[in-house]
Amino acid sequence: MSGYRFDRLKVLVVDDNAHMRKLVVTILQAFGTVQIYEAADGEQAWLMMRDANPDVIVLDWVMEGMSGLEFARQVRTSPQTPNPFVPIIMLTGHTAIDHVRQARDAGVNEFLAKPVSVKALLTRLIAVIEHPRPYVRTKSYFGPCRRRRAHDEYRGPERRAPADAIAPVE
Amino acid sequence: MSKGHPIELFMPPNMLKAKVGGSYSGIDTAAIMRAESAMQTLKVEFGEWCVQDVNRLSECRERFASNRNAGSRKDLLRASLDIKGQAATFEFPLVARVAASLCKLIQAIPEPERIPLMLVDAHVTAIRIIFRDNIKDISNPMALELLKELEARVTEIAGPSV
Repeated sequence: MSGYRFDRLKVLVVDDNAHMRKLVVTILQAFGTVQIYEAADGEQAWLMMRDANPDVIVLDWVMEGMSGLEFARQVRTSPQTPNPFVPIIMLTGHTAIDHVRQARDAGVNEFLAKPVSVKALLTRLIAVIEHPRPYVRTKSYFGPCRRRRAHDEYRGPERRAPADAIAPVE
Repeated sequence: MSKGHPIELFMPPNMLKAKVGGSYSGIDTAAIMRAESAMQTLKVEFGEWCVQDVNRLSECRERFASNRNAGSRKDLLRASLDIKGQAATFEFPLVARVAASLCKLIQAIPEPERIPLMLVDAHVTAIRIIFRDNIKDISNPMALELLKELEARVTEIAGPSV
């Protein structure tokens, strides 16, 4: 797989629809992933998250109980989270721009729009491996940097905070 | 944002890349073919999965028709969203579009009693017929005509899609 050892990956697949879970799991298995954890809702996913500490999460948006967005926020901000930096790929039929913004603001790294395809899932996995985004912590947000373009492309004023308030950390 | 709440911008170590090792050298076509092949074996199950989804939608429609409240509206929307998201994956793109139109209708009207049941029924029936007749061709003229009519009716109520 492009030189990758996907057999070393632990992937958590969270979707309340068993059919979609089976589809995603089947594709991941074909990529060579063997450590796959399945959860049917956000609560179950949270328990698995803490037990298995997955390397990647494939997360459905619409679920009974805790939604995908709520789960993503919890992963990013809960004091109990085992890994606030774990890449989250959101599986969604919502592709309208305001939905994309909501997911981005919840700390989602990548989108996988339905219908699910083999190539699309592989592309998102490669994206989180090869192009990790910097993380941002503000008073109201913690998660991947929501600016998708390189910083030096932006020529306007700093909108997150006054420039002298920015404190890069290691 | 005040100066009392500075922004931290940082790049965590790329543990994922360290774990999977190797380097990216383009899309691995062998892996894609392997996964496509696995998908093909799953496709025999797609029909049964769709039957279950469509039956669930019909049940939700029954509950909504007999008792219109926030709960039955939510269940109907969930069933519609599931079909919208899955039907295209399961090779029923027209069913996905009809379901998308139904979702738009339900989402446009928060008050359950104001959602036109006849229009809901027209969508549910269309989904059942397209699925029953195994129409997978997105250019099927009869199904397309039906779809366009449904979308036009929903647009009259909900406005054009953004």
